[in-house]
Parts: sequence; C-alpha cells; structure tokens
Amino acid sequence: MNWKQRQHTFRLSDRDRPGPTGLVFDIQRFAVHDGGGIRTLVFLKGCPLRCQWCQNPESMFPGPEILRIPHNCISCVKCMTLCPQQAICYDGGGEIGIDRVRCDLCGDCVTSCYAGSMTIVGRYLTAGEVMEEVDRDRKFYAESGGGVTFSGGEPTAQPDFLLSCLRAAKARGLHTAVETCGHSPWETLAALRDVVDLFLCDIKHMDTARHRELTGMPNERILDNIARLSQAGSAVRLRLPLVPGANDSEANIVASAQFAAGLPTLEGFDILPYHRLGEAKWRQLGRVYPMHDVAPHTREDVLAKACLAGQHVGGVGIGG
Amino acid sequence: MSQHQVQAPELHGPTQRTTAALARFVDTTPSICPERAMLITESYKETEALPMVLRRAKALEKILAGMPIFIQDGELIVGNQASKPRSAPIFPEFSCKWVEAELDRLANRTADVFLISEETKAKLRQAFAYWDGKTTNEFAAAMMPPQALEAHNDVVYTVGNYFYNGVGHISVDYDKAISQGLSSVIAAARQALEALDYADAEQLKKRHFLEAVIIANQAVIDFAGRFATLASSMAADCADPIRRDELTEIARICRKVPAQPAETFHEAVQAFWFVHLVIQIESNGHSISPMRFDQYMEPYHARDKGRVLPEKAQELLDLLWIKFAELNKVRDENSTMAFAGYPMFMNLIVGGQKRDGSDATNDLSFMCLQAAANTKLYAPSLSIRIHEGTPAALYKKAGEISRLGMGYPAYYNDRVIIPALLARGLTREDARDYGIIGCVEPQVGGKTEGWHDAAFFNMGKVMELALNDGVDKRTGKQIGPKSGSLETFKTFDDVMASYKAQTAYFVRLMAAADNAVDMAHAIRCPLPFLSSLVDDCIAAGKSLQEGGAHYNFTGPQGVGVANAGDCLTAIKKLVFDDRLLTLAELRQALDSDFEGREDLRQMLLNRAPKYGNDDDYADAVAKEAARIYCEEVNRYVNPRGGRFQPGLYPASANVPLGSVVAATPDGRKAWSPLADGVSPISGCDTCGPTASVLSVAKLDHEIASNGTLLNQKFHPTALEGDQGLNNLKAVTETYFQNGGFHVQYNVISRETLLEAQAQPEAYKNLVVRVAGYSAFFTALDKSLQDDIIARTEQTF
Repeated sequence: MNWKQRQHTFRLSDRDRPGPTGLVFDIQRFAVHDGGGIRTLVFLKGCPLRCQWCQNPESMFPGPEILRIPHNCISCVKCMTLCPQQAICYDGGGEIGIDRVRCDLCGDCVTSCYAGSMTIVGRYLTAGEVMEEVDRDRKFYAESGGGVTFSGGEPTAQPDFLLSCLRAAKARGLHTAVETCGHSPWETLAALRDVVDLFLCDIKHMDTARHRELTGMPNERILDNIARLSQAGSAVRLRLPLVPGANDSEANIVASAQFAAGLPTLEGFDILPYHRLGEAKWRQLGRVYPMHDVAPHTREDVLAKACLAGQHVGGVGIGG
Repeated sequence: MSQHQVQAPELHGPTQRTTAALARFVDTTPSICPERAMLITESYKETEALPMVLRRAKALEKILAGMPIFIQDGELIVGNQASKPRSAPIFPEFSCKWVEAELDRLANRTADVFLISEETKAKLRQAFAYWDGKTTNEFAAAMMPPQALEAHNDVVYTVGNYFYNGVGHISVDYDKAISQGLSSVIAAARQALEALDYADAEQLKKRHFLEAVIIANQAVIDFAGRFATLASSMAADCADPIRRDELTEIARICRKVPAQPAETFHEAVQAFWFVHLVIQIESNGHSISPMRFDQYMEPYHARDKGRVLPEKAQELLDLLWIKFAELNKVRDENSTMAFAGYPMFMNLIVGGQKRDGSDATNDLSFMCLQAAANTKLYAPSLSIRIHEGTPAALYKKAGEISRLGMGYPAYYNDRVIIPALLARGLTREDARDYGIIGCVEPQVGGKTEGWHDAAFFNMGKVMELALNDGVDKRTGKQIGPKSGSLETFKTFDDVMASYKAQTAYFVRLMAAADNAVDMAHAIRCPLPFLSSLVDDCIAAGKSLQEGGAHYNFTGPQGVGVANAGDCLTAIKKLVFDDRLLTLAELRQALDSDFEGREDLRQMLLNRAPKYGNDDDYADAVAKEAARIYCEEVNRYVNPRGGRFQPGLYPASANVPLGSVVAATPDGRKAWSPLADGVSPISGCDTCGPTASVLSVAKLDHEIASNGTLLNQKFHPTALEGDQGLNNLKAVTETYFQNGGFHVQYNVISRETLLEAQAQPEAYKNLVVRVAGYSAFFTALDKSLQDDIIARTEQTF
C-alpha cells in the first residue's frame, strides 16, 4: 500500500501495533531541496514550537487531527449521515463544519469521502512501512547523490520511532538527513549522531526573548544543541526561514550568520524565503493564521539579505 | 563501458545575421502558394500516356524548373520550398477536396493559420478541377474494405495521415548524397539500366523506375543551378562588397553541389539542404528526418577546423535551423487538432553509438544542441541518444538545453532501442546506427521504409466498445463484435476478454485499411527522387512505395494506454476486489456521464489505483492493456513484405481521439482528451516524477518498437543549478535503466502558459513540446493549450 492509498482509511488502533509506531503526516518523493540530490521526505507529526509562520500547521499537534478541504467537497453529505458522533454538521453560514470535541477520530467519514475532502492528518506507521515507501526511489538516490530526510513537525519528538527508521535506512546504505528545530534533549540528538549523515538545523531568531514571542520557546537550548552537534563532528546545514518583520532585521541576519560561521562542521547556510502556501491549511484545521497580512519579500530583498549573510559566513544559498 | 573524456568544444551564441534572420522569420505569417499545384497539374496533363513513376519524375522536373526561387537578405544557405518563406505548396495528387472545401477558412481558423489571396484561390480551384477521381486518397478509399473505412470514420482508429497526404517519415542516405554527389546516383542508375535484360519481364519493369531516378536527380542538380545563376546575377547588382563576395560564393557552391561531392562544411550544409528541401517538394509527407546529422556532417566540419572560425560554422548551423523552420505544410482543419503548431517533425539526433558500438559524440553533437539554444525554434525536433558511454559533458549540455523550456532535446535509450531493432531483424551494426523519425520512431536511415505513423488506434474507444457489446455510444451503431457488456460480465476475466476481442477485431480492420492506403501510394504516387537515396531501391529497380527499401515496416500507434489501463484497474479493484461498486451502478453512471453521480466519479478517480504512481496493481494492468494491443499489431504483414510493429505515442491525437469517446470507468468525462503517449492521465500522477517514470518503465517498451513517448513536466526551480541538472540526469538514467524508451521534459510554469493563453502577442516565441514535437504555444488550438496546462506539474 503506498502513502496515497493509506489516506483512504484511518484506524487509531494502528498506533498500538508492535512497533515502535510513529505518527507520520506526509511522505513526499522527489524532494530536491532538503539535503542534496533526489530525496524522499518523511514528515513526522508533532512539534514543540508554535512558529507563527508555520506552513505545515497540521504538523504541530502530536496526535491525529481531522481536517476538511472545502474545494474537494462535492456536497454529497455522506460524512454527515455516517458520523456516529454527529460531529459533522452545517455551521451557521451553511458550510460543513466539524465539532472537534465530539469527533473521536473513528475514520468513518474519511472512508466514505471519495472526493478526499474529509481527511485525518497523520497515520501510524512502523519503520518498516516507512522504508517500504522510501525504498521505491533507491535508484534515484544512487544516481543523484540523494537519500532520505526526516522532517516534521519535529522528528526528534518521536525519538524511538525516528531512531528505528534511521537505523533501517542506514542498514540499506542510504544517505540520511534530519531536519530539526533543535528543541529537544541533547541525549536524543546525541543518540541519532551515528545514523544521521546531515543535520538540517533551523534557526528562527538569535534573540531569545524574540524567539519566545515568535515560536513559543526560548532559543538557548536550540543554539546549544546545534553547537554541540557540530563540535561533536556531525555535518550541519543551518537554515534561516526569512520572515518579513519577524527575523529579517540586519542585526538578526548578521548574528545568525556569525553563529553559523562559528560551527566547525558547517556545510552551508540556507535562507528559506517566506511564502504563504500553508495559509489555507490553518483555516482547514479551524485555526486563525497569525500572519495573514504579511507579504513575502521580493526576490531582490531576499538576494540583498543573502548577500548580507554572505559577508559573515560561507556557503550561503537560497531555498535549500 | 567507461565514459571517455569528451569535452564540450568552445560554443558560440547567435550572430547578428542569425538574429536578423530569426526576427524576419517570427514576423512572417505562413501563406499558401499555388505554384506547385499549377505546375504538377500541367505536367500530369502532358504525361497521361506514361507509366506513373515517370510521370512523377517529369512532374518534379517541371516544378523545380518552373517554381519561383529567391535568396533572402543575408542568407548563406539557399533554397526555398514555395514562393515565399514559410508558405506552403499544395499537393493535389494526394487529396484536394478538403483544400477546396476549406480554402475560405484557412486564413481565419483557430490553429495554424495560412494567409491566402483570392487570386491563389482561383488558381487552385482551376487546378483542382483536373484531379477529381485521380488522387491517392480516392484510390485508397476504393481499395479499402467498407468495414475498415467505417471504423476509420467512427474514429476507432484513424489512418488519416497517409490517406490524405504523402507518407514522408523517412531518412535518406544524406551521407551518400553529400559525400558522393547526385551525379553518382545518376551513374548508378545508368549502370543498372545498362545491365537490364528487357526480354525478362521482371527486368523490363525496372526500366521506368531507373529512368525516373535519372530525370529526378538531374532536375535537382538543375534546380541548384538556378540558385547559382540567381546568386551570380544578384552579386553583379550588389553594391556591398562583403555581400557580393558571399553571393559569389553561394553561386560557386550551388554550381558544385549537390551534383558533385561536397568538400567544405558550407558546401556540405548546402548539399544537405537541397536534398532535404526537394524531398519536401516531391511529396508532402512530414517527418522527413535528418537523423544522425552530427555523424555524417562531422568530417566536413573537422576538415574546416582551423580554416573557418568556429563562430562561422555555428552560424551556418543556426541559419540551417531557420531554413528547417521555414518548411511548411497545410493540413485540414481537423488534422490541425492532432498536428498543431505548423510541425514538420524533422527529427535530428545527436550522440549515441557508432556502428562499432563506440561512443559517437563529436563537436557537432554539441553545436547542434547550441543551434537549438541560439534559434529557439520548434524545428528541427532535436533528440539525443543515451548509452552507457555517453560523455558527462554531452549529458550536461543536453540538460542545459532542456532547462531552457523548449521541450527538447528528447532523450532516447540505446539500451532498449537497439535490442528492439535487433528483434525486428536489423543487423547489429544497423541497429546501433539508428536514428529517430518524426516523434519517437526508431529506424536505420537510408535503408528503411518504416511507414511509422500508419494510424492512431483509439484505445479509449475500444475500451468503450468492450463495455458495450460493440455498440458505439456516440452513434448507437453496432460497430464491433458482440463481446459482452457491463450487463453480462461475471468476472474480471470476462472484461479483459471483451477488451481483447474488440482490440483484435479493430486491429485487423486497421491493418486492412493501412494496407489499402499503402497499395494506393505504390500505384498512384511512387517517388523517384526519394527512392533513389534509399537502399536498395536502385539495386531492386523499384520505388520505396513498391517495396524497394531494404527494411520495411508499418507502425500504427495505440493512444490512451493509461485510460485503458486505469479503466480496467477501476473495474477490477472497485467492482470485483473491493465490491464498492456494482456493474449496474457503473453502467448508470457512465450512461449519464456521471450526471448526479459525481460521488461515483470521485470513487473511480480516487479509490482505484492509477497508473503513474509506481503502484504495482495499476501498472500491471496498464502493461497488460498495452501488451494486448502490441501483440495484435505484431500479427500483420504489409504489401511491401514488411511487418507491422506497434508504437504507443499520440502526437497530439489524444485530444481528437478523446472527443469521440463516451464517459469511461477511469472517471473520465465523455468527449474529453485521452492520456498522452505512455504518460499517465493528466492529474492522476500525484506521487511525483520518480513514481511516474518508474510506473511508465514497467510497460514493455521493447515490444512497442515503433516508439513510446513520455512527457514529463518540471517547474523551472526543479532544475536550478548544477544540482538541478544532476537531478534531471538521475531521472533520465533511472528511467532508462528500468527499460524506458523515450522521455522529454517540459520546463515551464503553469502560470506562464495561462498568461501566454491570455496574451498570445506577448508570448509569440514561447515554444512548448507537444507530445513528440515542439510548437509555438500560441499557435495551438485552445483545447490543446488547455490540455497542456492541465498536465500535472511536477514540483517539489
């Protein structure tokens, strides 16, 4: 069963299979901006940070979540009739709404929704099931110097599952990368070092107070973890999601670049321009997107800021 | 095999002369030229007593001697097809009723517009009066069994290409014409003629063909002579001393070639052009393919090295590329739906292996790729052969051209194509020497009459008939055998058996239709000049059309593999495996075109596995659907003593073929396009390009030896930087290692296309690869533009 077919049903009981099982919210093949070459990107659900600009808001909550994609809906209302909890009904405006308190994630609406409008985000998979999908593109990894990248959410928030996936990948001789926000116990990261070829570390803001405002967490542990990973000899690429008005000041860019320059195993410094492609997902999850009014940088702005970073650190790239 | 260390030569951008010629080209609207039609009509009236092949030679002689010629400002390579650049001559001997009927619409139809004056219309009407009942089309129709003609009219297949036009789809022995000159062809024909024993009836038959070869070749030499005379007189009147020298040089060259062996690169390019041009005046078959141009032209280029500046050599190539694009052909309005964008499908391929198996890459391989970048035109169709020894530098250059977003080069896989040709009886050396005809059809040039584009077989329609007991939903007529229907099937095997029965029945009729058209060409339109440059016509003393070529094939294409596969998969999975759906429900949903049953359509679309997602369930069924078609085609033999061989590619016939097919169980609405080539259905390949190519590679590409076609679209950001080129190569390599045949990449954004659709003026130069060829996007019919836009955009 490929990842796409797994979307047709949802069973909470999958979690309790012999494991470890992990909660995965997406598997993307042919990712080319996350660690070199052609890669498969495995997204693990659940994140300790709450970044206001998050483009994968469905990745934050560490459990399965119901989500409705209105433009897929063909108004057959099967979901309403079938829901045993009567959690799906018209809201005041005549739109189909979900009572997320009533919903017990039985998955009946997902099974009956052929149009793919009612979905539950997250599937409990074993490492073996993840690798089944990852294995499909092994020839492409070999030809392009690619491999597998675990992302999120925050992949290290499911440490046992992540480790068993990485071990399986290494047993196959694959190049492995982990994309992390760095907010995890050092022991968790240290345990991964043997089976991770490259850490892609996000850095949101160099000022801890501002970092807390933007993400809900301070940055000391993050910066410390990144430095320790690098000092211990793990290859690191630093990634700065460049968000207008949040972390794009000259001072923060310079400070970030200088921090990067101090890492002995730095492989590159990537500026990831802000985009709004995730906004609809906030709505579909029944949440308000905090950055609704923020316009992305122009191409020229991004280039200028990349140049600025380049004065303080080598290997600056745009877009990963 | 180790990749040998080939470096790219120093490459040069377009010169001022090239840029000026390009600007002039883009500003010229195609028009209709009546001259050829008038001249051939006059000639036919004079030669009614003669055998047909001689009449053809004399007609060519009269056309080449009488048609208007010109040399444009700054041109270094000369030779025009009709009275103006980009204007199309008319070929009434193949068919002219449609031209007459559409004369008033040519200038204001939606795609492929041709300007035409009232005077031209009058001249053409006068010429056409002679042709009633005399065309190959009418003769072929008379030879065709009525059921075969009916199935053609019902668009279960269409043999329209050669039914209404010349055959084309050939590559001649350009090497011989350039290196030995046409004088040597005349000498060979004379020698053969002298050896004939006229008392032997079989030998007597050869006489007229050989005489026709001599007349035709002499006519081409004299045609070149006309350009020599014109250039001389223009030189005499020219005030600019530099241009005067150029014209004098043109005159010298045209006196020498193509009669005598070429020695310089300029002479070789000019000799090539005369041969290539006259083939397109003798007949209007398209897909006249230069094939391995880098191979037969390199000796002249190498000889000139050091004497001629590399930028001058590149300029000659670039100017030749513009001459290619100036060739034109008018098609009927329906055909412009299937062949839109003024395409001539002249396939030119670089790289690959030599006859001894070693790598063939040379400086010209790179320069041809550069010419495509310099001119950014839709012609010629540029291709590259890939084998284990393809140099990294050539791969990289090809990737850089792919990234420009013109849809070429198309990549071909030696690892699959060479064995496929061996299985068709080619020698190992000939198989290694293959090139590509038209869209994707492989053959060895100079000795093959491949009849590659014999028909499009509508796999979508056959699927519809297979579910309806042979009744056409569009017309209500019983046109196929009673093979069962959704009302009678008990098992999935019943469904497959019905699909197989319909396929077998209509492939058989298609073979009859093709053979009737084939024989009509042999009787009504043998082509002596074309034949004289293809082995073994002179030795055999007969034309290509009569079976004179060394290798003979007929290649009809299945269109809609993905639809046939996904229809069968949906029934298998949803009806018989999962029992989510009954056949009765499916019947009702299909009959109403899913009106009121959108939920079922969504089930068919989203719950059945789809070909193109690396899903073994769906891919195995698609493979079987393709195999059934291919094996049926393999059964038949053509009148030239060659075998039928299947292909799986559509040009852009997937749009018109889809327009007669009712709703299908893959969730496709009635009358909408079929999938293109072996590509997945638009929008159904949702797992990205790696999954898509792995799926497609699971088909048996070797059995489909007339060619398969995969279109893969990338967003430009996918190919940024050296890493992007590396990733593109990885996709190509993996597809090919897994058994893929051909792949071409579109590298443009959906937004760009929408904008181009809305503001065609601003995007006059936007080239899009449409299933096997490149065309100006804005010249395409709107429905085809929509189809291209709808194709899944692979981003990441």
